[in-house]
Amino acid sequence: MLIEPYKDRIAEILGRYPEKRAALLPLLWLAQETQGYVSEEAMREIAGLLDLTPPQVFETVTFYSMYNLRPIGRFHIQVCRSLMCALVGAENLLSWIDAKLGLKTGGTTPDRMFSLHQVECLASCGTGPMMQINDEYYERLTQAKVNRILDDLRRDGKSDLASGPFMFPEPSNKSSESSCRTN
Amino acid sequence: MADMVNILVDGTPIAVEKGTLVIEAARRLGIMIPHFCYHPKIKPDANCRMCLVEVEKMPKLQTSCSTLVAEGMAVRTNTAVVEEAHKSVLEFILANHPLDCPICDQGGRCDLQDFSHRYTPTKSDFLDVKRVFQKEYFSPLIDKEMNRCVQCLRCVRYCDEVIDAKALAPIGRGSRTEISHFTSHQLDCEFCGGCVQICPVGAFTNRLSDYEFRPWMMKRADTVCGYCGDGCTITLQSREDELIEVISSFEKGRNSGDLCARGYFGYQFVNHPDRLTMPLVRQPDGRFEPTTWEDVLPLLAERFTQVKLAYGSEAVGGLITSRGTNEDLYVFQKFMRLAIGSNHLDSAARFGHVNAVEAMRRVQGTNRWTVSYEDIVNADCLLLIGTQITWTNPIAGLKVKEAVKKHGAKLLTIEAMQPSIETTSNIANLSTTHLTVEVGRHPAAVHGLLKAVFDEGVADNHLAATASGYVDRTRAAVSALPYPEGMDEATLRTIARTFAGSRRGVILIGQDLLQSPGGYEASVNLMDLLLLLGKLSEKGWGLAPLTEENNEQGAIEMGATADYFPGAASLDDAAARTRIASAWKESPPVGAGMRMLDMLEAARSGKLKAMLIVGENPARTLPASAKPAEALGRLEFLVVQELFLTETAKLAHVVLPASSYAEKSGSFTNSEGCVQKVRAGLEPLGGSRPDWEILSAVSVLMGYPLEYGDAAEILKEIRAVIPGYRVLGATPEPARVDRPAMDRYVGGGFAEDMASRYRATSNITQDSSYPWSLWVGQSLFHSGKLSTMAKGLLEIQKEGRLYMNPADLQRMQLAEGEMVTLTSVAGEARVPVGALGRIPRGILFFPESFKEAIAGLLTMTPDAVTGVPYHKQQRVAVHKT
Repeated sequence: MLIEPYKDRIAEILGRYPEKRAALLPLLWLAQETQGYVSEEAMREIAGLLDLTPPQVFETVTFYSMYNLRPIGRFHIQVCRSLMCALVGAENLLSWIDAKLGLKTGGTTPDRMFSLHQVECLASCGTGPMMQINDEYYERLTQAKVNRILDDLRRDGKSDLASGPFMFPEPSNKSSESSCRTN
Repeated sequence: MADMVNILVDGTPIAVEKGTLVIEAARRLGIMIPHFCYHPKIKPDANCRMCLVEVEKMPKLQTSCSTLVAEGMAVRTNTAVVEEAHKSVLEFILANHPLDCPICDQGGRCDLQDFSHRYTPTKSDFLDVKRVFQKEYFSPLIDKEMNRCVQCLRCVRYCDEVIDAKALAPIGRGSRTEISHFTSHQLDCEFCGGCVQICPVGAFTNRLSDYEFRPWMMKRADTVCGYCGDGCTITLQSREDELIEVISSFEKGRNSGDLCARGYFGYQFVNHPDRLTMPLVRQPDGRFEPTTWEDVLPLLAERFTQVKLAYGSEAVGGLITSRGTNEDLYVFQKFMRLAIGSNHLDSAARFGHVNAVEAMRRVQGTNRWTVSYEDIVNADCLLLIGTQITWTNPIAGLKVKEAVKKHGAKLLTIEAMQPSIETTSNIANLSTTHLTVEVGRHPAAVHGLLKAVFDEGVADNHLAATASGYVDRTRAAVSALPYPEGMDEATLRTIARTFAGSRRGVILIGQDLLQSPGGYEASVNLMDLLLLLGKLSEKGWGLAPLTEENNEQGAIEMGATADYFPGAASLDDAAARTRIASAWKESPPVGAGMRMLDMLEAARSGKLKAMLIVGENPARTLPASAKPAEALGRLEFLVVQELFLTETAKLAHVVLPASSYAEKSGSFTNSEGCVQKVRAGLEPLGGSRPDWEILSAVSVLMGYPLEYGDAAEILKEIRAVIPGYRVLGATPEPARVDRPAMDRYVGGGFAEDMASRYRATSNITQDSSYPWSLWVGQSLFHSGKLSTMAKGLLEIQKEGRLYMNPADLQRMQLAEGEMVTLTSVAGEARVPVGALGRIPRGILFFPESFKEAIAGLLTMTPDAVTGVPYHKQQRVAVHKT
């Protein structure tokens, strides 16, 4: 059930727009945030909230690649495969992840901790190879950094190597970065 | 004209209305610009890029389906550049199209096939893997082959814009876009067949006719659908006297090519194995013995003559379905009136339509609408009262949807079902103002509307000056009434104000109003409403009662009811009697005719000794508590003409096999009064015969020869008997309000029953032993019993369920499909339950076509004025057992 426990947030989202239908994407986000993916039940409920039919909601979910229609791992790894990252070794990045987790594109680890997908440009072309895990960016990746990030996440649920989605201009504090390089 | 635009298409000048699309302007010149995604019924989408043309002074090629004409525009559709563009687009589309034309049902009528022939692309420069979708089961009636899809989205747009069902959606992106329902669920929608019909390729096909045909093998006949009163033109496509499919061509008929589930998928009763093919005669041991026409016809003549001689003509009654052709109905009443000599005859129009006709005759002096479908589409305000239009009259419903969705008309609904978005469209979802009213309380809502007319001060001043007596007395009568209990006064006032303030308005009424107590009075009162607003005789305004069966209007006009001669003239109309006598060369009998219930009562009491029942099934239609079978069982001689061995036919002494609408010629008259041609698509099945032919043959043997060479000869006689009938064609001018009749009404006729018409209706009855209000109504997928013989419709809805609001279902802790016991004062029944959000809380809905299951529950009350048997509502209790 999506509606019952999140009544207030739904009301807030609906209140943002003059037209109900405009709340579709934020409500789908809410569903994904709370359940990890957009379930059929959530789509039906959202359709009911917005005076849409379930097929209309389904159409929207499938148009955007960032909505998941199936349950995925707790950490959703999205590796950029566009040109800039490819030039600086995005393929290596995939093999490092595979070496560390035995995880291939489209898969989920048996402990449902990590899921891996390749995506198009994440607009961090100056700092490739890079990946996004849930809402955080991890940039200028090396095998050692990847290993550490994955270990951190499994152990603590977070990693301080997250560099945030907006890295330009680059942070002036180079110390954390140099420490990475020496690792 | 100022709003005309002159353009050149391939050098040929043409003037078209401003706002016309280039592709449409070219089409009018006979130039077909190839296209996939464009369709005149839906908004331009310009997604397929096939219709590119050169437009002078525009730098690039333009999509002609989305480019509006402009003054002086010069369009070229056949230059080398255009040709090259078309070829390239086609090459892209064909890159992914399978070469399965030999097994595709669309082969032979496929746009892609035609364009491929035209551009003959024999090679492609693409070197890539073809897109292949996994074949999935889609639905029992519609097959989906996504590999053939050209992604024009016509189906998706039609489903949304025209039908308002929104059951299809494009899933994914780019070349992998796939048309789908909800996730991997099989299609659950209103099955109008629109996606199949509008698909330019073979992505959607009709599963009922899968692999049965090639289009060029089929015999075609354009005829009119035999289900509801909308009068849709359909094309019967048959092969070796089997009906293979039913289609409707774009722009054809009153429906302009749109159909509903019944029209598109409901045709297979025609070739049903249970159809009667030989006359049956009951033997002394009670069995039916098949016989020949040669043997049965003299028997019929002899027995009818015997009854006449022994008991008099008055001892014979007749009942006919309003699904027959005008010719059947006309010959039936003539047979009854001349060969038998009795005015005791009635038709299924008695179940409700007579209420509306009687009201129209009384107030405006017409027996038909003063508006047409075009007036509905062009209205800027529509008021729907008790219609349930998207289920009962789906194509009239499309006219309402078109007015609202395309032209922005205001929609006011006083309906039994509340707004709720579900798998079938629901007119209340489009309402500007909606009032949910329990079936049976629509007449009270009409009182409320009239009260609101005065309270809002929107009554016509001119009328108040010229007919002050009428206005004052009506005002006094409605002002004495309270606003009906449980109905929001503000909503009623908004509806009255909005309707009064519109430019052109039509009131549509339907079964829920006309087949419930007070239906006649409410119809008259609605005409009061139009009168008081000063609109009754204005162009584009009027009352539009919708009919349940395809030819109820015809049944009335052919004189096939107890109250009227042909032309819907009263039995005491001397001029009509003279006219008919001169055409018939014999005078029709004098004396009032018995109506349906009177005849059954007379049969019960032994006054009526014989009956001729044509296609009607009172033993099933009337509730068990009215004991119709018992009454019919007392007859000395009962003849039934039928397609199937119905409950009534089983009681007969002689059963005669009748031809279905697909096997006969003649005409049907739809709700709006269009007399349309019915053409036989098949030979009569087995030994079956059209109803009129049977009656004609018996009449000859009885010495009253009603001989006709064919149906056209009958129509000729009908035209001679009914003044003005000659001019009625497929698109007649709507009838005009008859001034003298209206003046008579306003001048005093209104007063006769003023007190009973504006009597406060009883308030909501709260009966604690029967807390639920059960309402038996028509569902979208069925119509009467006939549709339950159609395989396709049974695939969608195979049984009757007791529908209730999901919240009620939850409160009762019931699961869908669970059995419950219903009890009423009349008896009990056990039925499965279902959930439907549009049913208001506390209300139960059961589809009429399956009402055998609840036959024991219902009671009946006849209308005091029009004799309509009301039997569609019942207070019941629901027991979870």
